Order: sequence, then structure tokens, then C-alpha cells
Amino acid sequence: MQRPVSSLSLSSCVKVKLVGAGFQFTADLRHLSPQQLSKGASLTQQEALEVLQAVTREGGSDKAAGAGGSSASMTALELLQKEEEELRSIVTFSSRLDAALGGGVPIGKTTEVCGAPGVGKTQLCLQLAVDVQVPPCFGGVGGQVVYIDTEGSFVLQRAVDIAAAAVRHCSLLVEDDEQRVAMETFSVDTVLSNMFLVRCHDYVELLAELHLLPDFLSAHPRVRLLVIDSVAAPFRRLFDELLQRTRLLNGLAQQLIAMANSHEIAVVTTNQMTTRVLGAQSQLIPALGENWGHAPTIRLILQWAGSQRLAAIFKSPCHVDSTVQYQITTEGFRDIDQSDQPQSKRPRMHNDQSAAGV
Amino acid sequence: NERKCRVWRCEDEVGGVEMTESGAQLFARLEARRCLKDIEPALFPADGGPEHGEVVELHGTEGTGKTELLYHLLCRCVMPAAAGGLEVEVVFVDTDYSLDMMRLVSVLDSRLNAGTHRPAPSVLRSCLARLLVVHCSSCSQLLLTLHFLETSLSSRPSLALLLIDSISAFYWLDRCEGGASVTKQEEKLSKCADLLDSLRRDYRITVFATCHAIRRNYSGQSSSSSSEFDRPYLCRSWQRLVNHRLLCSREEGTSNMATAAEGSEEQRRRQVFTVHCTSSFSSKTKSHRSSSFYVTDGGVKLI
Amino acid sequence: MVVLREGMCPGLDADLVRDLRAADVKTVEDLVSSDTEDLAQKCSVSYRALFAIRRVLLAQHTAFPVSGADLYEELLSSTAILSTGNSSLDKLLDSGLYTGEITELSGGPGSGKSQVCFGVAVNISYHLKQSVIFIDTTGGLTARRLLQMLEAETSNREEQMEALQRIHIFRLFDVFSLLDCLYSLRTGMLQQASVGGGSVKAVIVDSVSAVIAPLLGGKQSEGMSLMTQVAGVLKTMAKDFNVAVLVTNHVTRSSSRVQPGLGVSWRHVPRTRILLERVEKAAAVSRSSMRSATLIKSSRQLCHKTEEFDLQRWCHSEGPSAKRKLEDMDS
Repeated sequence: MQRPVSSLSLSSCVKVKLVGAGFQFTADLRHLSPQQLSKGASLTQQEALEVLQAVTREGGSDKAAGAGGSSASMTALELLQKEEEELRSIVTFSSRLDAALGGGVPIGKTTEVCGAPGVGKTQLCLQLAVDVQVPPCFGGVGGQVVYIDTEGSFVLQRAVDIAAAAVRHCSLLVEDDEQRVAMETFSVDTVLSNMFLVRCHDYVELLAELHLLPDFLSAHPRVRLLVIDSVAAPFRRLFDELLQRTRLLNGLAQQLIAMANSHEIAVVTTNQMTTRVLGAQSQLIPALGENWGHAPTIRLILQWAGSQRLAAIFKSPCHVDSTVQYQITTEGFRDIDQSDQPQSKRPRMHNDQSAAGV
Repeated sequence: NERKCRVWRCEDEVGGVEMTESGAQLFARLEARRCLKDIEPALFPADGGPEHGEVVELHGTEGTGKTELLYHLLCRCVMPAAAGGLEVEVVFVDTDYSLDMMRLVSVLDSRLNAGTHRPAPSVLRSCLARLLVVHCSSCSQLLLTLHFLETSLSSRPSLALLLIDSISAFYWLDRCEGGASVTKQEEKLSKCADLLDSLRRDYRITVFATCHAIRRNYSGQSSSSSSEFDRPYLCRSWQRLVNHRLLCSREEGTSNMATAAEGSEEQRRRQVFTVHCTSSFSSKTKSHRSSSFYVTDGGVKLI
Repeated sequence: MVVLREGMCPGLDADLVRDLRAADVKTVEDLVSSDTEDLAQKCSVSYRALFAIRRVLLAQHTAFPVSGADLYEELLSSTAILSTGNSSLDKLLDSGLYTGEITELSGGPGSGKSQVCFGVAVNISYHLKQSVIFIDTTGGLTARRLLQMLEAETSNREEQMEALQRIHIFRLFDVFSLLDCLYSLRTGMLQQASVGGGSVKAVIVDSVSAVIAPLLGGKQSEGMSLMTQVAGVLKTMAKDFNVAVLVTNHVTRSSSRVQPGLGVSWRHVPRTRILLERVEKAAAVSRSSMRSATLIKSSRQLCHKTEEFDLQRWCHSEGPSAKRKLEDMDS
């Protein structure tokens, strides 16, 4: 079966011209020079060149595959090695949540934090923005963060408090010279200087920012975390145009995961909760519709249970659904003290290491 | 007719058949092509089944029994006369790559075994040998293949049915490739339709084609909204060709995806499909017929 | 459409191509459709020569008919049924995934589609010792999870590694990359991937809706055209290379009705479709790992049959006999 020209990643008007001139399959283009093609299909030289590049790229990938070295493909074993050596997680400073997530918020994936206002979504984002900078010798990833604030909920003082607590925590752990040296460049000031803050007011600004972000990430290879707090707010205005909203969100989801994968960053987004009425019952579910639910790799739901705060892993391809309790202190996002917690409320996550298969 | 015969002789070499004949012989041979008027009387208006050279379109969304109905008709054609079939050859042009041979065989098998005496296994084989399958992956390949099939049509008098599943397979591809001009978008299918037109006229072959509805069938609401999904959308030259239009739909109320339940055998039995046939005659008159069927393991059962 | 070029077939030289072009015959279709005698006169070439050219070009570009009897025989000898490793799903699928067909898993977020895909991949690579191509378009795949699943099957480290090596992963996040990948798989990579032991028996795309859904609703025809192409290349790949294709799709909900996503034109692409849903227990505080699977499209089984299974226990009792030839089934 031959590959149609229309399946190439080219602008649609160029493709229409090509087909109109009788070039329906990529095989028809292989032997042509740019001059011949621009004449034959009434394209500009530039367009003709782009077309031929797209065709040879396609042909080239065959050869790369023949040599067994296509960059896109790897075996699961290679991926496992990569995961173990390179892709680490960002700790949350809540050991129970870390355990439930298998080490923290994973790099290379998208994670969505959903919850009602005030339950601690932004707190968790700020915590992660600080945690991503923990030097590697303390078990961190020593990265930088891009923080996109769409609601104006980024409070500098909270960032300072959380950063100070994290620096203090690490300084208490210092044992060897390497860690002592690392602490010299891990201070509240450096933490704040490694946060790239962006304020977006509506969805157009957000989409534009995300469009430019890959270049920024290439220029700043140390960035390991992208926070969008929140995705829901800028799209609220589009609520009436459901179709357009769904399409934009679908595209956004693919953009985020592509970025997470190619730049090896963790993407953390927040989302609000909304009420779904099912017959007589009503149910609190994440906003932005069911389609968006497919977007994040991991979905974390923060919720109140009486006066307790619970974090539930709702969707994750690599973890058991589990629920842990946490608290928000002046220092940031933390485990609840063991003594405060009734025995019956012990989270299930302690079993998951032993539970075979999952 | 001298030159025409020369053409056929040459073309037959491509098909590997060497033959010569006079125009009179040719005429006799074409006359001998079996008429499919009685292929399934229950579907068509009284005394109005597809004549020589007529075109039938089966239109519907997924899950409305189109495929089952198609296999039902196909089986009727390839089955031996002794088992109640028409014993004719069929060309199946599979543009959707959707021919489910296993399903077809199981339907065929159960119908062959429906008689009192069990037929020999070779009967199934000979039925299947009456079926020619050809896969097409683009509209231009369809056009070239139809040109190529002309050879088979002229050399095989027992070939009575050309089946295209589906004629709408390349609709979106052509639309996209055609750009802004509707003529360009429809150009390729129009060419196919024109060729089909001459094939059915010259060789008096009957054509069945399926067409997937591209709009959702919001049934459950009134019938006024269902006109949306059955509106013909393919090019004019195809629409003009169609003599009989079979509109398939599913009778609602029995089951949908969300309310899956127990007693599935019962439920599937109760799942009734409706076919609405509109036949246009040369005298500009139209007649209608509605029929219903349900699907069993052994294929379509008309009610 | 194929543009006429000199040297495409004997007798078609540069002069004739130019003359034909002047007569407005640019492609093979044009040549085949036009009246040969007329054209021969216009291009001052002999009728016989032009006729021969037409015949060769037609034979080069047509699709050839195959007898149904041969097709059936070939199908009987080549079709394999790949057990999913989960007895509930196997029951719905009439013992497993059939090669040559597309099977679809539809379901909402967190309904277990990806988990089922992982389980199928592990089962095919470990139990059936065949290669699997896994195309991940959502970033949901982690090798660690695959390893966990393998660890539940065997404690032999070497066997685990071998099984992991038989799973070939592509991570693609837009439709053009997906098409690039599928077309290059068609032109040789499928055989390439099978060098590591065992041939490629399954291609899994998780999920197909993630890359297609962003195209729909906007510039309609281009999105639909790309969707048709994805469907086409998957179907021909399944048929021509005799592999089982498993895809995942999201669902749309209108009032209480659940429909598979991607609209009516995608609806008839998969031959078999299973709907996955969470089993919500009214009183349960913690989330359950129970899922229900409902068969909603099949040509072999009664539809609307539902089975429940536990995602945490990907059952593996079938053993090596799980792969059967179709002939055994029929008898």
C-alpha cells in the first residue's frame, strides 16, 4: 500500500496542490528535483523543498529503522533502563503520597491535581516548585521550574516559607562534603531565582505561552517541572462553546504530554471540581468534561473528609488507586503526624509493595 | 462490432483467457446473465426487485445490520440452486477492508445445512469459489480496478453481481484532497460512477453498494430528525445511478450500550432492524417497502 | 492517481509522455479512462502500441481479485487467536484477540484501558513468546509497570528481560507521527521488529482517540481524512501482516447513553468493541479495582454480555496452550 501525500505533515493547501497536479502518493515524488516539483505542481521553490524534505524524511526513517536505530522506537527493556537511570520523580515532602505515587511526581508524565477551593492544590504546586530544586545528593533532581499562574493564586510569601523550610530540612541532613557544597547553592534566594513565573489571564495567552515553551525549554535544559495552576480557569469563559473548548483541550493535552516526553519534565496541572447530577444523586467530579479526563497520566484528587484532607490517586497507569491523608502546615505540604492518625485510617498504600501484580 | 471484439480478445489475454466470438455469440452470452430480481423479494416493493443493470444502495450507520444484510444477499447469490440459491458469481470490492470471511462462512454454512440432507464439504468450497474478492485502498485504485474488472465481466456470463463495500470509503480522503472546489472533491468518485454506469449498461450487471451514514442517527426522537442522517451526500453522478435505496436502521428501545443486561440471547433476538426500501422507476414513480429482520448466529431472519 | 513518467512501462518514452500531456492525459487514470483509438490518433502513435501500454499500466496498478475459497483457506491457516491473559476478556472475545482484525477498548478516564493493554502486551510477549508493537500516545506507559506484571508471572529475571525485549515501544503524540510510524512499520519495520525472536503478532495503539480527537470539530475534512487514513493503515496492516490490532478509544456521554468516541465514521472501523467501566460500589470509601467489560460489537458473540474482573489480578491460568489455531476452534 502506498502512502498518500495527504498523510504528510504539510500545510493543507500545499497538499491540495500536489494532489491536484496528480501526485497522490509519496512514491510519485521521490525521484523529483525541487525545480521539477515546483513547476509540476505550481508550488514555490521553498514549498517544493519542504515537500521533498518531508518525503525523504519519511523514506529516511525506513532506512533508520532498517539499521535498527530509529529514535522513536525502543524495547520495553531499554525503556526500563532509561526509567531507572534517568527519569526520576520529584518528591512531595509527604512520604505517604510519595510512596503511593512510587517515589513522587514522575518526570516525563503529566499529573493533574483536582480539588475544591482551599483544599491545597496551589500549596502542593508551590511545594513541588521548591522540591524540584533539591540537589541530587539529597535525593532531588536539582532542576528548575516554569510556573504558569492563571488565577493569580501564586503568593510569594508562601513560596518563601516553603523554600525556607525545604532548605532548613536539607541543611539538617548534611552528612558529607558533597552535600555541604550543594547547600552553598541551595538557599531561599537561589530557589526563587530558579522559578520562572508566567502569568496568563485567558486561554489565548495560555495557548500562546505553551506554543513558545518548547523553545524556552530547549534554552533552559535544567527545567524539570512545568506547573499550570490552573487549567480550568482560563477555559471557563469558553463554557458556552463546548465543541471548541473540547478541541482546544484535546490539542493542549497532546502538547503537554509531548513536551513532558521530549524535554523530560514533569507536568503538573490543577483543575477544579464540578457537580454532575445523575438522576437524584449528585457527584463531585473534576471539571472540563470527561474528555479532558484522559489527558493527565495521573490524576490526584484532593478532598475534605470532615476536617481531614485526603489525597486519592484516581487514575494512574502504574499505581494502585489509593488514598492518603496529608496536612498543610506553614512549612508546606506534609504527612499527617503518625500519632494524630487513628489506626483504622491507615492508608492502604502500605500493602501495595507486597500486592503482587499491581 | 468488429473492433469491439478485437478489444475483448486483447483484454482477455490480460485475464489469461484466450477467446474469440462473434457479436451474436456475445449477445447471447450477455442475455444469459442471471437476473437478480428475486434476490430477496421481501426487501423490495412488490415485483420490484433489482433488474439487469440496476444499482442498489444500502445506507445506514454502524450497528444497523448493513453488513449482515449484505452477507445474507451474498449467500443467496453464491449458494447452489439446489439449496435455494441463485448460483451466480459475485465480485466483492472491499474498499473498507471489512470483509469478515469467518462470519460469511458461518452464515453460509448454517444456510447450507438448513436443508434436510447435509451437503458435502465441497459444496461450501464451490460456493466460495463463486466469490471474487478485491481490496482497494484509494478511489483511483477503485477506478483502475473497475476498468480491469471489465475483462472478467465480458468473459464470465455467470458473474451477475458487483458488490462494493463501501462506496463511501474514500469520501473524506477525496474531500480533503480536492481542496475548496467541490468539483475536484467529487471528481474521482464521479469517474467511478460514470464507469459503473457504462459497465452496468454494457454488461447488464447488477450493482450493490453500501454507504455509511456520516451523521449520527438521533433516533428515539421523532422521525423528522432522522432525515438528517439518511440524506445522500455522495456525488450527483452516483445518486443518479441508484435505482433502489435500502435505508437500514435499528429499532430503538430494546438495547443500547449503557443498558447492557442479562438475558442477552433474548435481547439479541429481540434486536430488530428495519429496512426501508425506496425504488425509483424510469417513469419517475417511486414505490416503497418496509421490512424488518433480526440477526441470529445463522444470519438474517426476515420477519 | 499516478503521474505518467517515462520508463514506467515498455514503450512509454519521453516523447510519448510529452504528447500525452499535450492531450491532457497526465495520469494513469487519464490514460485508462480515455478512448484509446482517439488518443492514438492525437498522439500519432500506433493503436497497438498505446493499447499495450494501457494494458500493462492497468495490470500494474489494479488490485487483483482473489477467489473467496482461496481467501478462506488462507485465513484458516494463518489466523491465530491471541489470549489476552484475562479469562473474562477472553470469554467476551471468543478466546482472545484475532489476528487480522481491529479490536477496540472504549472507556472513560481510569476505566482500565491502559492496564488491559499492558496486560495483553505482557501476556503475548511472555506466554506466547511473540513480539508486540506498543504505540503509546498518552505517555501512560511505564516499563516499571510492565515489569511488575511480569514479576507476578515469573521470578526468573532472564525471562522477564526477554519478555520486555519483545515489546517494542513507540511514543508519539500527534497524528502525523502516528502515520509516519504506521507507514514505516508497513514498509519493513514489522519484520525488523521480529528479529529479536518471535514474529510481531500484535500492534497496540493506546490511545487512538488522543491523537485523533484534537483534529475533529475544526477543519472537518482534513481531520476526517487523517482519521480515515489511520483506520485504513491499521486495517491493512492487520490483514496483510496478519497481526492483531488493539486500540483504545474514549467515550462520550449524552444524558445516560454512553457512546464510543470519535463519531460515526470511526464506529465501523473496529470489528470488535468492548466497553470498560468502573464498578462503583455504593458504600465503598476506597476505590475499587473491579472493572466491568461489556461486549458491544462483535460478529462472533452475542452482544451486551458483561463480565467483571479485577485489574489487580491479571489472571494467568491459561498457560502455553492459549494460542490456538482457528481450525481447532471450528471443529
